[in-house]
Amino acid sequence: MMKEVVEKLEEIVEKDFILTKKELIESYLFDETSIPVRPKPTLNCIVVKPENSEQISRILKLANEKRIPVYPRGGGTGLVGGAVPTKDGIVISLERMKRIEVDRENLIAVAEAGVTLGELLKVVEEAGLSFPPHPGDEGAQIGGLVACNAGGARAVKHGVMRNFVKGIEVVLPTGEILNLGGKLLKNNMGYNLMHLILGSEGTLGIITKAVIRLCPKAEYTLTLVLPFNSRHEALSTVPTILTKGISPLALEYVEKELMEKSAMHLGEKWNIEGKVFLVVILSGTQNEVYNEAERINQICSEKGGLEVYVAERQDEQNTILKIRSNIYTALKEESADIFDTTVPPSNIGKLADMIDKIAEKYSAYIPVYGHAADGNLHAHVMKKDIDKYEKIKSEIYEATINLGGVITGEHGIGKIRVKELYKFMSPKSIELMIGIKKLFDPNNILNPGNVLSIDENQALRTEQ
Amino acid sequence: MSLKIVVLIKQVPDITRVKFDAERGRIDRSSAEAEINPFDLNALEAAVQVKEKLGGTVVAISMGPQNAAVALRDALARGADEAILLEDNKFAGADTLATSYTLAGAIKKLGNFDIIFCGEKTVDGDTGQVGAEVAEFLQVPHLYYVSKVKEVKEDKIVVVSEMEEASYVVECEFPVLVSVTKDVNKPRLPTLREKLKAMKAEIKIWHAENLTDIINLSNVGYAGSPTVVSKVVVPKEKGREGKVFKEINEGIKVVLEELAKKGLI
Repeated sequence: MMKEVVEKLEEIVEKDFILTKKELIESYLFDETSIPVRPKPTLNCIVVKPENSEQISRILKLANEKRIPVYPRGGGTGLVGGAVPTKDGIVISLERMKRIEVDRENLIAVAEAGVTLGELLKVVEEAGLSFPPHPGDEGAQIGGLVACNAGGARAVKHGVMRNFVKGIEVVLPTGEILNLGGKLLKNNMGYNLMHLILGSEGTLGIITKAVIRLCPKAEYTLTLVLPFNSRHEALSTVPTILTKGISPLALEYVEKELMEKSAMHLGEKWNIEGKVFLVVILSGTQNEVYNEAERINQICSEKGGLEVYVAERQDEQNTILKIRSNIYTALKEESADIFDTTVPPSNIGKLADMIDKIAEKYSAYIPVYGHAADGNLHAHVMKKDIDKYEKIKSEIYEATINLGGVITGEHGIGKIRVKELYKFMSPKSIELMIGIKKLFDPNNILNPGNVLSIDENQALRTEQ
Repeated sequence: MSLKIVVLIKQVPDITRVKFDAERGRIDRSSAEAEINPFDLNALEAAVQVKEKLGGTVVAISMGPQNAAVALRDALARGADEAILLEDNKFAGADTLATSYTLAGAIKKLGNFDIIFCGEKTVDGDTGQVGAEVAEFLQVPHLYYVSKVKEVKEDKIVVVSEMEEASYVVECEFPVLVSVTKDVNKPRLPTLREKLKAMKAEIKIWHAENLTDIINLSNVGYAGSPTVVSKVVVPKEKGREGKVFKEINEGIKVVLEELAKKGLI
């Protein structure tokens, strides 16, 4: 079968961009998902690197006709196995689709799927504009960021990826190319199919281009570090800051041990006194941010916080952000899985306390940190506690749902949280999702096993 | 006894963002935020650590335009007790010699001092000359490329000085000028309280006329600068070149020839 498919693919894409040898396809089989929970990839797949949406359309038509599974792949920075090809088939890597243009008058960038976040930021900055959210690793690609509705630390003020995507070009599993939305701030023409595809994790279509809203030149920013002696004091400060009308770019909760570990990992040093910290990034004019900083200082001291530190220089702000962002990398080696449970922001303290109780119950070490103002908490289960993994996961998810939350705020369902999606989502919602999937992808060729488990649906449903 | 410590500060553009005007061979200073030269932060941190240990005062001095006061305010937030800005049109266009002469004049005016700390170089000029020249004008010894302050007492300092392939441990009595590298410490963040206080603090401004009893004005600024920059060339980035050989031996021959041409084999 493979040989025949390769021959057909060679009619669509230049030979050099079709990979079949084991050593060449190896780096396309995994993403950043922790090894203990990572789905097992097939070794029998073909990696294709098309250069435009027409080629993708022809590949999908072929796959649909032959019923071959197709796995779209971006930067491979996902944490839930979304890009992992689990069945024999075709991996479509969008890496060659790198065209990008900035429309200054409309404050818009139009980027092809393979443009990385780092490349987008660079082009936008050169155009004297800005793209304020920072939805993940800078090696992540636009297609993946849009398909997974990425979040990140800077969602407090500006929102997540969804808030910035105004239009997409998408190739459907049946091969049609659709243009949805556009350079528009208002658009009520029919059902919003674009927002249905955003966050569908590469199961409804392959996003090939995105129209992205930009902002005027980057604002002045200031990073504050608010140290506290207890988690309770720190997390109870968060709603007070937000209800006083202060809208930070980011508001992160971190603990001393993790910041020290991450700093060491980077060859830096974290030497601020205090057990836990809120890291607050403010943006606006210089006067605005200092005014907000003064108010935060006041709130912090009323809540029992310690002396607040400030980073004004860009290099110092970057160092703090880098240390915060690398907690994940520093923990990765010892980590079995990372959760991104999300609750209503005012409940984040309760969730953190419940996770501590679960850790105590199972004598496990469960480090927590996260995007405090979004109610989005990252908890790690470590490899040393792998024997209790299922129980810990299940209890953390139960606690989250009981607090009015969801099992994922930004990483998505991918291939490793499908069982839990079926457990915690209402049967009617699952039924509607399956209906939608079938409408878009009647033969279930696109990223099968991702988000929904069509073939095993019956089994999963009876299991509940 | 309390020590009198001076720190030399220069305001520079954020070098990670600044754009270079290749045609005119100049830094486009408007393209990036101005801030304290990163090496000077290490100098300031070293000074503050000495003060914390033995007591004393830290005076930050900078020569520059009016807006260099921003850098001095940052120095105050990070532990300097006093800040002096040497600002005058007559000081403009100074090379390292005229700059050092002016800074040394200001330090003389301050009176006796024990230690002067400075960064090993500035990220915009990159000469690394000003510290040593200041020391010469003041006729005090200087310790350069200091990567560690091993010991500091009321009358002397012991440092590790990096000299390419050797590290020297040097002991020196005060007064002395110490030029530090990035390795000497990790500058701490200022507290928000100090930062806000510094925004309202007084920066002393000394004009040329305040220094005429000490310095000769014909030696300052452009007039006092013997350095002539005849041309600035920005090296162009060279792309990689590839050659494909059908015959492996032919390829190897060319590689060997190229290596021999460069004197590598």
